[in-house]
Amino acid sequence: MTRARGAVLGALAVVVAALVVYPAFGTGYGVRATLQVFMWIALAGSWNLISGLTGYVSFGHVAFFGIGAYAGSILIATAGWSWPLAALGGGIVACVLALVIGYPCLRLKGPYFAIAMLGLNEVLRALVSYFEGLTGGGNGLSLPTLDATTSIYYVMGGLAIAVTAVTYLIITSRFGLRLMTIREDEIAAEAMGIDTFRHKLGAFLLSAAGPGIAGALTARDQGYIEPISVFPLVVTVTMIVMVLFGGKGTVWGPVLGAIALFVIQEIVWARYPYVHPLLFGAIIIAVVLAMPRGVLGLLQLKYRLPRTI
Amino acid sequence: MSLLTVEGASRSFGGIAAVNRVSLSLEPGRIYGLIGPNGSGKTTLFNCITGLERLDGGQVRFKGERIDGLKPSRIARQGIGRTFQVIRVFPELTALENLLVVTRGPRAEAERRGRAMLEFVKLERLAGEYAGNLSYGQQKLVEFVRVLMTDPALILLDEPAAGVNRTLLNDLLAAVSRLRDEGRTILLVEHDMKVVMGLCETVFVLDHGEKIAEGPPGLIQADERVIEAYFGR
Repeated sequence: MTRARGAVLGALAVVVAALVVYPAFGTGYGVRATLQVFMWIALAGSWNLISGLTGYVSFGHVAFFGIGAYAGSILIATAGWSWPLAALGGGIVACVLALVIGYPCLRLKGPYFAIAMLGLNEVLRALVSYFEGLTGGGNGLSLPTLDATTSIYYVMGGLAIAVTAVTYLIITSRFGLRLMTIREDEIAAEAMGIDTFRHKLGAFLLSAAGPGIAGALTARDQGYIEPISVFPLVVTVTMIVMVLFGGKGTVWGPVLGAIALFVIQEIVWARYPYVHPLLFGAIIIAVVLAMPRGVLGLLQLKYRLPRTI
Repeated sequence: MSLLTVEGASRSFGGIAAVNRVSLSLEPGRIYGLIGPNGSGKTTLFNCITGLERLDGGQVRFKGERIDGLKPSRIARQGIGRTFQVIRVFPELTALENLLVVTRGPRAEAERRGRAMLEFVKLERLAGEYAGNLSYGQQKLVEFVRVLMTDPALILLDEPAAGVNRTLLNDLLAAVSRLRDEGRTILLVEHDMKVVMGLCETVFVLDHGEKIAEGPPGLIQADERVIEAYFGR
């Protein structure tokens, strides 16, 4: 086992090193696409923390991305913060939102929670459009021009690594096992002395930080945001599909899902722009029917692998 | 001082009084039985004690403190453990993880205790197997030792004998006696009268949510109200 572990760590080191030097050689498109993959890994990994582990499906997770994007942009444009600090601010604002929303909503069970989260996203989008003074309303918010793509590439890459590392730490801890008992049987978990509400809230806070930071970074990179560009339901759906495809409740499932779906998406998008949504729907149906546990979930069960795959 | 006191506990669902002004008290280090026909309120009473159902009236005291109205997890951490009528292991956690997950404190120590518990019920070879893949009897044992991992002073067992073969049952009953000898208190719901009569020192009988009798098994068996509740007049 230790040899396998060493091999995995070695391979990871090589991949990380390659990604570190990549911007020096890669094309503009390549760097931008890799940056996007980092973002999707961070988003899918974060969704996995709450929904993959506790089974509480968040249908509005893009709300944290959107609020992070707005918080970050306002901090940059109005308060004059530097973008790395503003990104941190976006993460913190997303966590505060998670606390405020999680407190009532995590008492809801199953589908009711999912729908409440869907509502949250719509409410936020409406609020952001309404408070024009702060957010620019429907006209959006422009940031001063700045070419920081390479720096953002590194920070987003760091975020993807951080989310994956946190997932690893949680899944191998008793805290992670307790989160899973909520998915498995919440009533039994309570009866066994596990304070399920506090555990859910903890996981929810953790799952909001990554999207908040990613939102602020994306806003800085693109230089312009508007309500429909940062609160789209399709981003939540994409996170969910990535995790379901890769394997929910595993460490590498969201990573695999993010990479695989992004690549598929890019190819299809470029060649057949109109069937792109159709393809996504088809993947959801295929995954749910043929391998509800996703690629890694299936391997995990078949070959009795640990969840740390 | 009694370990657990239930005073005038009531709980209704719609117009049905599932538990109606039930009072009972449990002394430390004894085994109690709770019997009654189907729908007499046994499981609801368990749920009221463990906080899974709120009380409409009355109160529950554990070690002298009110516990009714607390969250189930707080009640559990104060020292009340339970099993369920329908098995509720965590199916996608391994047998060992099912035990680890309820522990606090150093992990190595928890793992050592967990393995010892699995050995105690002869499941040590299945420590790494998902609990959902175990047989019914094995899951029942995992659920039983999972309760013990929390080191409870009071253990509520909901039909421990149901669906368990004779050999396994004897092991379970021996284990329950040993827990009593360690000073723990056990309250068990059971339909198997042989089990109740052989194990329990005091039996409470519920019928239509009300406590209709209480006493040593021998006397309970001869009690007219009890016979009537089970067989009709």
